[in-house]
Amino acid sequence: MSVPLPIRPSPTVVNGGQGTMTCHEVSFRYFRQQPWVIERFSYSFAPGITLIKGASGCGKSTLLRLMAGYLVPAMGAIVTPSGRQPADPEFQRRDLGYVFQQLNLLPLASVTRNLTLAASLAGLPPETTAMRSAKWLRLLGIEEFASRLPQSLSGGQQQRAAISRALVKEPQVLLLDEPTSGLDDLNTRVIIRALQEYVNGARICVISSHDARLESLANEILDFNRFLPVERHLEALV
Amino acid sequence: MRSSILIASYLWKDTWKRWFEQPGSPLSRLFVTGLLALVATVILVAFHLLERSIRERLERFGLNTIVVRESVNSDSRDLTVFTDAPDRLAALSDHGQKLRVRQLFVRGTTEWQDGVIVLTYGPESFDHFIEFLSPETPGILFSEELPPDALVRVNVSRHATLAVTRRPQGWLRPLITEDMLLVPQGTWPDEERLGFIETTIFQRNPDAIPVAHLVSAMTTFYAMDRDRRSPPQVQSALPMIRELEKLKERQVQWRNLLAAILGLAVSLVYGSIAVLEFRQNLFVTALLRSFGAPRQFLFWRHLIENALLANLAAISAVALMAALHTAIFGTLGFAKPVLDFSGGNPYASAEVLSILIWVNVGALLSSIPILIGLRTPVGATLN
Repeated sequence: MSVPLPIRPSPTVVNGGQGTMTCHEVSFRYFRQQPWVIERFSYSFAPGITLIKGASGCGKSTLLRLMAGYLVPAMGAIVTPSGRQPADPEFQRRDLGYVFQQLNLLPLASVTRNLTLAASLAGLPPETTAMRSAKWLRLLGIEEFASRLPQSLSGGQQQRAAISRALVKEPQVLLLDEPTSGLDDLNTRVIIRALQEYVNGARICVISSHDARLESLANEILDFNRFLPVERHLEALV
Repeated sequence: MRSSILIASYLWKDTWKRWFEQPGSPLSRLFVTGLLALVATVILVAFHLLERSIRERLERFGLNTIVVRESVNSDSRDLTVFTDAPDRLAALSDHGQKLRVRQLFVRGTTEWQDGVIVLTYGPESFDHFIEFLSPETPGILFSEELPPDALVRVNVSRHATLAVTRRPQGWLRPLITEDMLLVPQGTWPDEERLGFIETTIFQRNPDAIPVAHLVSAMTTFYAMDRDRRSPPQVQSALPMIRELEKLKERQVQWRNLLAAILGLAVSLVYGSIAVLEFRQNLFVTALLRSFGAPRQFLFWRHLIENALLANLAAISAVALMAALHTAIFGTLGFAKPVLDFSGGNPYASAEVLSILIWVNVGALLSSIPILIGLRTPVGATLN
């Protein structure tokens, strides 16, 4: 049975400045009897793109889910740019865009309806939703599939549709969990271009990935492997 | 608001698709609820009809009526034909009015061979029947079935007489269990000498002592007569009132039992299915929650689905029973007037409507596991 590897305290200084998303002494584990997956993790995510890379099971996805409020830290605090708690539904509706590793789209809703639903929850008026939907679907190259159901799309198209759904809100914080895993170079390039367009230096985008193709995109790279002595041991084995 | 409509429409589509793909899921819920509601409706309506039939008997008899029946045999010293027997209830004259008639031991038959009981009245009771008399004949045939004001030939032993048909009303209503021929005392002396039942109908004055006391007083009067061979039969509304109270008690017990069974069965069946479907649907629910869709909204989806199916099944069961009402309860032996909806629709009674409350309580209880399931963090479901 694999045991999640713990994230040790980050050497990065926590500045907690305005417009940043700050994790302060965050610890998390899935079950009480198990070791910490993330232990006393502190970091301040500045506007721009931060890439978290690291071995499988090192806690990258868990950290994103904690930042999104989908999991609640056992200790520590996460401060969002708007000051809302991550678990606050208002933060999730208006300030957050999240792309999961897989199974991202509502299966019975067309791509457009998926976007509209997320946008309406964020409180966007229909005209803005229509305008932004058209923009992001075009930028991600899935305009022509807008009326199709997810099951009729390829994996790459589904992932681009999921990203456009996260972007249609134009949220302050965008979290992407392995957005390009299993995608070809073309799909990846389209996604990179869209993310650059979205972030534009003013918004926070955190990507969890071990896809080296995304490194060029990142303003900052957070290597979780640095905190994992076990991983070094694995490297030695290789 | 717009987001609520969009989410509701998506969830409805999702529910509909699930029903279509797994028809056993809604059908089993409909079947179980329908069957239980059907049984509950039969029991509750049967109680309702029983209560109505007792009330009708009570109304017919009268709350203030006491009937005393005393057998007078051919060898009794009280056997007189042309004079009245002594009035043993004279002491109670201040407490009410009396009507005395005699029911002969012989029976009569109409020209259609229908049996009738035969009663005679003396001069003291004459004024009670003046309004019913016809110029053609002194005989009166009280009948619920025969058309009123018709002349009918009735045979009693070897005699035949004409009688005018009348609807039974007023004083005589407590006595009517079948068609009844009433003739003046002494019409057929030979038949009267065979014996009769001296029948006194006592109507208590509204301000008199209670019926129970009067019954007790009457029983005491008759007990004081040491020459009597057997005590008379004193009949009042009291046993019917007791019967009604007992029935109501049983009705409440059954209602509680049915409420428990129906509520428990619905909550268990619906709850199990809701949990299975919630698990099947965990991904969509978590995805909606990840956008910030309110948790209550997702709970309402299950609650509404369960309530919709439960109400549909229960209403259909009640409607089916209402449609088959006469056939089913007629077979069970209820009289036609009791089955009639003119005295109130038993399917719109509070008891039957309470079935809807029980199934809704069951539906609500069945959705509680969903409420607990929705507390699972989104991050524990979605990867």
